[in-house]
Amino acid sequence: MSTAIPVIMKKKEHFDRGEDSRSQDFHEKIFELEADGEWIVQRVPDDHVLVPTKYGLEKKIPRGHLWHHKSCGQCGHIPGYSTSIFWVMRKLGYDYEDPRDQTSCTAWNYYASATSNSAAQAAVALRNFATAYASGFYPLIHCGTSYGHYKEVRAELLRHSELRAEVRRVLAKLDRPMVMPEEIVHYSEWFYAMRNEIRAHQVRDMKGIVVTVHPACHYYKLVEGDAIYDPDIYGGQRTAVVTALAEALGAEVRTYSTWFDCCGFGFRHILVQRDFTRSFATLRKIEVMKEEANPDVVLTHDTGCVTTLDKSQFAAQAHDRNVGVAVMSEAQFAALAMGAHPYKVCQLHWHSADYRPLLEKMGIDWEAAWAEFQEDIGRLERGELQYLTWEDTDA
Amino acid sequence: MPAPTATADLKVGDVAGYADIAFEEKQRIVSLVIDDPRFTDYLYGCYECGICVAACPSARFYDFSPRRIAQALARRDVRLVYQQIQEDIWECSQCFSCLRCPRGNNPGGLVTIMREVAVNNGLASAREALEGYSRIIYKIMSTGTQVSPDMLQPDAFPDWGPEVKDVSDNLALWRRALPPETLHTVSTGWDVSDQTLIELYLIWFETGALNMIGEVDKGLHMILEEVMQDRLEEAGIEI
Amino acid sequence: MSGQRIVVLGGGPAGLNAALGVADLGQQVLLVEPREFLGGTPVAERYASITGSFEDAETAMARLAGRLTESALAEVRLGTRAISLEGSPGDMRIGLEGPGGSEVVTCGSVIVATGFQHFDPGRETQLYGYYEYPDVLALQDLESMLKDRAVVRPSNGQPPERLCFVQCVGSRDRNIGNEYCSKVCCGVASKEAIEVREQLPNCEVFIFYIDMRMYGYWESQIYWPAQERHHVQYVKGIITEVLERNGRLLVRGEDTTMGRPMEVLMDMVVLSVGMEPSAGTREMARILGLAQNKYGFIDAPGSPLDTVTTSRPGVFAAGAALGPSDLEDCASSAGLAALRAVSVLRQSEMIGT
Repeated sequence: MSTAIPVIMKKKEHFDRGEDSRSQDFHEKIFELEADGEWIVQRVPDDHVLVPTKYGLEKKIPRGHLWHHKSCGQCGHIPGYSTSIFWVMRKLGYDYEDPRDQTSCTAWNYYASATSNSAAQAAVALRNFATAYASGFYPLIHCGTSYGHYKEVRAELLRHSELRAEVRRVLAKLDRPMVMPEEIVHYSEWFYAMRNEIRAHQVRDMKGIVVTVHPACHYYKLVEGDAIYDPDIYGGQRTAVVTALAEALGAEVRTYSTWFDCCGFGFRHILVQRDFTRSFATLRKIEVMKEEANPDVVLTHDTGCVTTLDKSQFAAQAHDRNVGVAVMSEAQFAALAMGAHPYKVCQLHWHSADYRPLLEKMGIDWEAAWAEFQEDIGRLERGELQYLTWEDTDA
Repeated sequence: MPAPTATADLKVGDVAGYADIAFEEKQRIVSLVIDDPRFTDYLYGCYECGICVAACPSARFYDFSPRRIAQALARRDVRLVYQQIQEDIWECSQCFSCLRCPRGNNPGGLVTIMREVAVNNGLASAREALEGYSRIIYKIMSTGTQVSPDMLQPDAFPDWGPEVKDVSDNLALWRRALPPETLHTVSTGWDVSDQTLIELYLIWFETGALNMIGEVDKGLHMILEEVMQDRLEEAGIEI
Repeated sequence: MSGQRIVVLGGGPAGLNAALGVADLGQQVLLVEPREFLGGTPVAERYASITGSFEDAETAMARLAGRLTESALAEVRLGTRAISLEGSPGDMRIGLEGPGGSEVVTCGSVIVATGFQHFDPGRETQLYGYYEYPDVLALQDLESMLKDRAVVRPSNGQPPERLCFVQCVGSRDRNIGNEYCSKVCCGVASKEAIEVREQLPNCEVFIFYIDMRMYGYWESQIYWPAQERHHVQYVKGIITEVLERNGRLLVRGEDTTMGRPMEVLMDMVVLSVGMEPSAGTREMARILGLAQNKYGFIDAPGSPLDTVTTSRPGVFAAGAALGPSDLEDCASSAGLAALRAVSVLRQSEMIGT
């Protein structure tokens, strides 16, 4: 018997990133530009959590006092996604701002149609940053594409002084200052950082719930150094967001061989070339998950991924493909774990893939919950209530 | 940066679906790609390792290769790059899985630049790709949110299942059943303030983004320009 | 002739050769090695054989070490490291820390031969699963199995039926920061491929590569025999990720000559990891005050015509402390470093210091 194997296996037990292999910190340049008077850097509030990122740098994730940079796709088509983010934050007792003075990042359109340019994209980003700065709250980006694109915008601005000059000219017309946040923070990073606080508020047991995770491309592939990688999750070899939260809540996360593949969203494809989107989402993602991991739910952390993986299953089901699994964001999953109402908060009636078996496995009587929601709908219809309120969600 | 030249004549067959143009015009179009300020950030060189292709979803579905995009541009192969602009670039999913390139190339970013050039020059591929897409551009540019609840119509998304019809049938009511105050809207993702729109329109005007629409869809451009100008005039802003 | 010594730091291929060179030139030499044995990485990592000659690595290194320890002019201190350096060429004082405590030793000049370490595949951005899957190995892991003539899958103890090498892991990579070619991995992988085919004739062996760099005699000694006699399959296209499927390893990549994505099953995947400066090289550069290049290797400002003179007068470097090196490079730079180090003493003797 070889003596080699025990030595090799010992070496493979734990990956440790040495001091010498950390990447250069882009913050130096951001603060240098601030010192040169080029822009204002909005500092992460003192009340923050330090989390590890891909190349060993630490990132500050603010706990509260957040300015919610909403996602058009979430708000428009998966409203339970945004609602769950707000609901969890309220439950944990953190204040926030849900602004009307906010545009989408417009990057979905940009990646779909290219009917924009660097200066326009950067101006849209910095206008939103400026409004967050003016509010005194710190920006928290809901959409994976917005997050990825804003990091890309930051990288371009750091490299190209002429682009900074052009954006400064445009923002001056708007009477807005140039503002760059110290960290660009995605909501799923907040959920990762807050996972222990969320667990402390957990009322529903997630033991026995099998989860597969689809990590969102624009979260960890675009300007990859910002993404959270935790040595304790996948040995630091994949991003830790979503998975770390699901595990903290007691769910069983199973892997599958196409985890790195994109969902098939394609930006333009989901809208005008859906044969690609449907095929990719079902053949390369859902079917592989079903075959290899048989999950109760697919969790992901971006607008496009929830939409694609949820909506693409119907047509495949009609062709007797091996699909049929609930899809939602980890924000909705965490909300459910904390006792959120599946319809009033998580708004699962906007989803297409059948989530009811999952709710049953979680011990949620979805028929009773739907009846409760219908009561509220009745009140809205009768004019007894103009809108459902936060108080109603917990009634 | 050396100017693009006609390199070794890789036999490019007659191109179907769009008119062939003079070499000089192709050279001009390809130069626009190469002269983009981002180009040198996005392309260093290619040693043909294939990592980008293996990571690429579109390469599994179409005859599309991020490696060929990078190689053709690295070679300054004018004919081939022009052909790719007309035939290939709209197949890219813009997922940026290709950023795994060990050389630090960004083939997806090169595609973004090539698409911008296609739009700016009103090339056939851009016009074709954006057919049926006008309402999305209208939505994002005029409202500041790309998708809205009222887009969820069963005839637009017949493949998304019967739930789309449920949403569509109950839309106004279900939007009121949302606790966040900003979401009580059906025609926008959230309720965007007037001041925000004015500032957004100024950005579209000032950066030339609005003019780009004119190259691919004159009708849409006219409508957008009118909507934005009216709103800006109301606010007392001259363009 | 001065009675002064030259101190060589490191007892691997370059350090041994440098110390031998100094002794052969009639000068006293003190070789300091932190490990408890001589032979360096080839011995520490249990390499099976020398790339090129196919000679048993342990035997080859023992022969070199034996020649040194037999020399009356050489002294070897194991378990010892340098902790300080003062003085100028011809009159230097180096602090050493060993089993008997610390002491300061006078010397005329110093040769640093602190070598390299294998790239840690945990930093690879291409998702090769080294820390996830037992059957994903690095080049040096397979060396130790070949040495034991026991190439088996760590997961189940069975010999592999299909094994592949993935080239350029941690090398030629801008994202990781190692833009250089590590020079030896093409040869080492092909040599190991031949050995696997010899030890396990039923195992199919594949090498996924970007460019095969088999310069000089490696072409005829290794590359052609691997293809022609041992039927090792070379595929141009690198692997994007390694995954587990039904107890085997699924490797994904592009077959670039065919222009299509590929997915193939393997029993073992061997990562051809590149070279990085060893922890000792980084530490010595810091302690001795030597300029390093952007990759952390010791800088030789006069390179390429003077490959061994460092930024600090009186200190020379040899072998893989200078950058990716094969054994020929180690022998060559060690010889030059010995010559330069001795010439410092001769010059200071002539001007009477």
